[in-house]
Amino acid sequence: MRSFWSLLASVVGLATLLVQAKSSSGDSVLVLLDPSLKRDDFSIFFSGLEEKGYDLTFRSPKDEEPVVIKDDYPQFSHVIIFAPETKSFPKDITPQSLVDLLSKDTNLLLALSPKQTPLTSLASEFSLITPPPGTPLVSHFPERDTPATVIPVNVSHTSPILTPGLPPVWFSGVPFALGTNPLLVPILNAPPESFATDSLGDSDADVVIEASEKGGEGLWAGSQLGLVAGFQPAGGARATWVGGVELFSDEFATKEVSSGVKSGNEQFAADIASWTFQESLVLRVDSIDHHRLNETAPREHYTTNDQIVFTTHISRYNPKTSAWEPYSGIQDLQLEFTMLDPHIRTALPPVPGKPGAYSVTFRAPDRHGVFKFVVDHKRRGWTHLHSSTVIPLVPPRHDEYPRFLSAAWPYYTGAISTSIGFIIFSALWLGGSESKKGKGSKVE
Amino acid sequence: MAVAYSLPSDVSPATVTNTRSLLRIIALALISGAAIASRLFAVINFESIIHEFDPWFNYRATRVLASEGFYEFWNWFDPTAWYPLGRVVGGTIYPGLMATSGVIYNVLHALHLPVDIRNICVLLAPGFSALTAWSTYMFTKEMKDESAGLLAAAFIGIVPGYISRSVAGSYDNEAIAIFLLMFTFFCWIKALKTGSALFGTLAALFYFYMVAAWGGYAFITNMIPLHSLALILMGRYSSRLYVAYSSWYAIGTLASMQVPFVGFQPVRTSEHMAALGVFGLLQIVAFAELVRTHVSSKQFQSLLYASVIGMGILGAGAIIGLTYKGWIAPWTGRFYSLWDTGYAKIHIPIIASVSEHQPTAWPSFFMDLHSLVFLFPAGVVMCFRQLRDEHVFVIIYAVVASYFAGVMVRLMLTLTPVVCVAAAIAFSSLLDTYIEPTEPDVADDSSGKIAETAPAVDAASSGSSTAVSASSSTAKKTKKAPTAPPSVSAVAAAMTPSKKGEKPRGIFGLDTRFIVLLNAVGMLLFFVLHCTWVTSTAYSSPSVVLASQNPDGSQHIIDDFREAYYWLRQNTPENSVVMSWWDYGYQIAGMADRATLVDNNTWNNTHIATVGKAMSSSEEVAYPILRKHDVDYVLIIFGGLLGYSGDDINKFLWMVRIAQGVWPDEIQEPNYFTPKGEYKVDDMASPTMKNSLMYKMSYYRFPELFGTSQAIDRVRGQQIPKAGTTLDYLDEAFTSENWIVRIYQVKKEDILGRDLKSANAFAQGKKRKRTKPPVRRKATV
Amino acid sequence: MLLLAVLAACLLPLCLASSDSDYAKLKQLAAAGNGLIKLDEHSYNILTAPNRNWSATVQFTALDNKRRCTPCRDFDPSFNTVAKAWSTVPAPERDSHFFGTLDFDNGMATFQKLGIQSAPIVRIFPATDGPRRPASGVTTPISYDLTYGYEPGPLAEQLSKYTPVPIPYKAPFDWGRVGTFAAAALVLVTTLRFISPVLRSRWTWAIGTVLTCLVMTSGHMFVRIRGMPMSGPNGQWIAPGFQNQFGQEVQVVAMMYGLLALAFFMLTTVIPYQTSPQRQRVQVYLWSFVIFIMFSVLVSCFRVKNRGYPFRLFL
Repeated sequence: MRSFWSLLASVVGLATLLVQAKSSSGDSVLVLLDPSLKRDDFSIFFSGLEEKGYDLTFRSPKDEEPVVIKDDYPQFSHVIIFAPETKSFPKDITPQSLVDLLSKDTNLLLALSPKQTPLTSLASEFSLITPPPGTPLVSHFPERDTPATVIPVNVSHTSPILTPGLPPVWFSGVPFALGTNPLLVPILNAPPESFATDSLGDSDADVVIEASEKGGEGLWAGSQLGLVAGFQPAGGARATWVGGVELFSDEFATKEVSSGVKSGNEQFAADIASWTFQESLVLRVDSIDHHRLNETAPREHYTTNDQIVFTTHISRYNPKTSAWEPYSGIQDLQLEFTMLDPHIRTALPPVPGKPGAYSVTFRAPDRHGVFKFVVDHKRRGWTHLHSSTVIPLVPPRHDEYPRFLSAAWPYYTGAISTSIGFIIFSALWLGGSESKKGKGSKVE
Repeated sequence: MAVAYSLPSDVSPATVTNTRSLLRIIALALISGAAIASRLFAVINFESIIHEFDPWFNYRATRVLASEGFYEFWNWFDPTAWYPLGRVVGGTIYPGLMATSGVIYNVLHALHLPVDIRNICVLLAPGFSALTAWSTYMFTKEMKDESAGLLAAAFIGIVPGYISRSVAGSYDNEAIAIFLLMFTFFCWIKALKTGSALFGTLAALFYFYMVAAWGGYAFITNMIPLHSLALILMGRYSSRLYVAYSSWYAIGTLASMQVPFVGFQPVRTSEHMAALGVFGLLQIVAFAELVRTHVSSKQFQSLLYASVIGMGILGAGAIIGLTYKGWIAPWTGRFYSLWDTGYAKIHIPIIASVSEHQPTAWPSFFMDLHSLVFLFPAGVVMCFRQLRDEHVFVIIYAVVASYFAGVMVRLMLTLTPVVCVAAAIAFSSLLDTYIEPTEPDVADDSSGKIAETAPAVDAASSGSSTAVSASSSTAKKTKKAPTAPPSVSAVAAAMTPSKKGEKPRGIFGLDTRFIVLLNAVGMLLFFVLHCTWVTSTAYSSPSVVLASQNPDGSQHIIDDFREAYYWLRQNTPENSVVMSWWDYGYQIAGMADRATLVDNNTWNNTHIATVGKAMSSSEEVAYPILRKHDVDYVLIIFGGLLGYSGDDINKFLWMVRIAQGVWPDEIQEPNYFTPKGEYKVDDMASPTMKNSLMYKMSYYRFPELFGTSQAIDRVRGQQIPKAGTTLDYLDEAFTSENWIVRIYQVKKEDILGRDLKSANAFAQGKKRKRTKPPVRRKATV
Repeated sequence: MLLLAVLAACLLPLCLASSDSDYAKLKQLAAAGNGLIKLDEHSYNILTAPNRNWSATVQFTALDNKRRCTPCRDFDPSFNTVAKAWSTVPAPERDSHFFGTLDFDNGMATFQKLGIQSAPIVRIFPATDGPRRPASGVTTPISYDLTYGYEPGPLAEQLSKYTPVPIPYKAPFDWGRVGTFAAAALVLVTTLRFISPVLRSRWTWAIGTVLTCLVMTSGHMFVRIRGMPMSGPNGQWIAPGFQNQFGQEVQVVAMMYGLLALAFFMLTTVIPYQTSPQRQRVQVYLWSFVIFIMFSVLVSCFRVKNRGYPFRLFL
């Protein structure tokens, strides 16, 4: 029953997707497709993209045109590389140029394969650790009719990238171990009972263990291994690594994971694509505004111990309307007021009633210097928000100090009495008679 | 009466006096002209430009003052200096200089003379040197007479020791400070002679101006009390002294506390305690004198003096006690390093690292003072001949200043005026003696002549009677009868005649006069030549622009600094931060208008040490420091190609030392030497040295310049290994024509979150070795 | 990895034991040499064992006369005094930091191993394990910077950074100096009435002043601060270079200045009192000549120091 509902949900999801939605970063897609792979085998995935409104350009890794990057300027806003067989790419597609694409805000969707390809070496730059060549993922559970390398994988329901309640997806390809890079976003992990090996027979499982022990690599097994992982480079572009191309194939999309339950591959692929192409979970800082309490205009510098109001507006990209909408959903946003080190770190709560606005009022530290308002919000899957505004904090002006201090009254009285005494004395001295003058000189 | 040569006798005295004053005025005008003109070498050889380092900050501050007015200047917080700490400029500078040129600027503009503020700043020092000449004239006039005054003015006008700090373009505090120094001293002497509170107040006002203008005001603050104390000890206390000192101290101190940077120091720090103590002592002595005039009993007087001395000692003890309790700040490091000369090197390397804080060798004395340096002791002795109060001042000044000048090169500046004064006294008395036409007769009947010919002598005899009694206890008694001078030697006896006209005095014959005068004039001529040469060659280069000789002898201008600074100004974002060693902070701020980490105002040791650490540690260690301080560009000075010796590699050890002072367990000076203990940059250099950021930046791509031949550092005269250095965390952004200035850009973090070294390797297509997955399970045996 | 583990497992107790016995040995060695351990190859290796939970300060020196290392012999006493001062602190702290001296003749191999070319050198070996392991984790030996001078005061102050507690070094009270001062003061007071005329005579003061000025203006402070030698090697008395001079130059230059000043003085003040024209004339010529000659000598000296100087008199 439940599966039926999920099916219905996916259908509804499809229906909503049919409303033309585009990426926040352009909709030209280059697909590098191996000759070995038929385009029709992936029709569901590609047509899904085209329905969304992307215009796909197909290109075989062999031919030179169209180039992905010309005169240092990327020609496409998204690149899909389904080239599990290709050993050598043309000169415009090198690991270096792909990283260059990422730095130029082009999104990548890359598929690995058991074979050693240039992409495999590129994966290590993304701190994905690939097993030795020719070792696909194998699992003998659950009992099924498919070969051991074709595995149903349960989808984690925590990842914000995937639509909740997805049925298991079919996977076939290589796993990879995830490095300690905080920019990695694990999307799909291998089933606990699966492992990577080059020998498919059950008999020599011990051999596998022996080998892995000798290699000192530990066993390529278990749920720590990733199958699909996203990567969020600094600069907003997104990259997704998939262990095997077949994940996107029509065959897997239509294949049933269990009787009557279609696999989640189609929706899963669509989710991955929409995340990779910066449709979902895309945020941006619209504006930064700061001013003194009870003022409106920002100053070019503030005075120590001022009460400062800091406001930022954040909006989220809505793929359905392909528009930016104010977003108040972030609950753990923080503001730092730093000079070398954060002098103040405080929560930046959303302002009720003002969609997209986050504001806080705080007292500037009693320390002059060049400070920065820093908003730094990094959550897996979501666009990393970072904004930094430099603002000098100056000591009070000469006329902003208290003019009279009660503590200084002894000095005031001293000064006043002395001057009065001097006036009296000189008056006596000048106007007085002889006797007074004598007294005056005594006084002196 | 015999005369060597006859003077025109039919001239009325009035004419004589008028002509004399007219000539005096003309002479002063000419001297001022010479003083200004000789300082314009810098402008003629190069251009109207602000010189070396500190002047650039003063110039920048002055621009702010001129454009935004005094209050904005006073409250000016400079966010680009000492990034990110910022600098409260108004409270941390002596505003006198800027205020002066600001006033001049406004006056000129009120007169509709649209003069550029830069030209005012450039020409301020020469202008004030003319005033210095005048004030020296006034001062020396008080010492001897007008002729000596004119000589002194001429000397100070062109003496290199003063020109070195006041050529056109060296827009620094000293430019106006020396004038203020001399004029304050003149007012003080005048006040002391006349005992007028007016001149005391004048002295106080100029003292205030001095305080507002230069940190060296402490010299006056201790000089005048020292003089007064000496006078008291010599038993020369007088109401004149009392009035002069009290008015100066009271008003001067109150006024000086109005300067924000000085604030309460005059009552809190030891540098000022001498003045306070002498003030107190003077009150006590004055009181004692007052009492003594009313009672007259020997015992009581002696008791009184004992009590006076006792109270004096008590006061001193109290001051010391307060210092120990911490209510009075002890000597500041800079001041203390004057006494304990080894102090700075150990405790405050920053101070020791400043080149102008080095001790002075005799050649630079001769270079700066030439023949005055040996006329000066003669003049001091002359002062001893007629030991009037003001002469005591000159004597003390001479001793103190010559000590300080020996300890620190820059204090040559304070020595120069007194040298000029003393030398002028000596020289003019020589001329007096030998120009005087009258010849003494062998017979003895020329007392009247002596009276008019040698005013010095009777002045001496009058002075001597008081001077001999060089003790406080018996001053009054000896005042009564002019005692015979102590017979130290025949010479001394000849110099202080106890009775007028006891001996004839004068020179026989013309040839003697002629030879001596010839000698003297020749010496003066030589002096002028020397000064001109020194000024034009040594002291007139604005270290911002360097000059070198082409093979054909023509001048070749090396303009790398401005080239680089203007590159920064034109090609970098407004808000970018530049890191360099502190010497270049002011120039970067002034010419490139970019934020700097540290600059020549070395008040924050830790911040400078941070820069030193970044420069002297390896890339991996330095990079987080650079990022933390938002450094976008790193600027270094490298002279290896041109042989410019004042470059950063030569200053490197200071960076290391200063950094070591703060991080002794991370930076250690010995690691930068070869095992033999040498400081090398060739392939013998120690690994720490080779890995240091400074070394890498200096020699990055340097060997490529030499192609196949061996690369040679022309400053160190050592061969640079061909391998060259690699930089992973910095990009070379700019290198000036002669490689003197090299600017590097700090890379941003890698977009894939790798460390930049491996990112670099990847970009260059190097294969990285296969990594293994993190082992999560212990090996089971 | 496994192999390593096994190795570690079997080595651990062993090395622990060894370090214990070594520790005891070091303690008694230190006690024997009241705070200072006279090291040789063996004890040095013990002291600087890779797994030490104590720290150590080692002085590499060459005291034997045939090594002719004067600085070594200058520095050794102050190092010993500091070590002795350390031996007075309470036992627990004292035994966690050791002072050692390794003489070249006892440890040539070590000297060669460390590539030490010059002596004396002081190295601080931080503890590599145990509680006193430095937080920064840097356990490489730290070289003490001898530019702080050879006196025990700064040495103790600097080394205290690395010892568990500051080294309780107090400069010994200098009775000799105090005594001399007291005696001098006493003599002064007693003879005051006899020498007072001298003190009161302006000419005593004049001579003092003039001498001070002369000495100062001829670079005495430079020689003192920089510690310049009296004269250079191979007996040259005039140092090359503009910003440089020897001790001897001070005397020569001061003498020349003094002579010139004296000549002017004579011309101005003494000669006019000559009654006989002839003698006066002779003196005038004499002194003028002196001025001329001395001045040209001075200028020639200056030319030696400052090559580019274009002017010259007779010589």
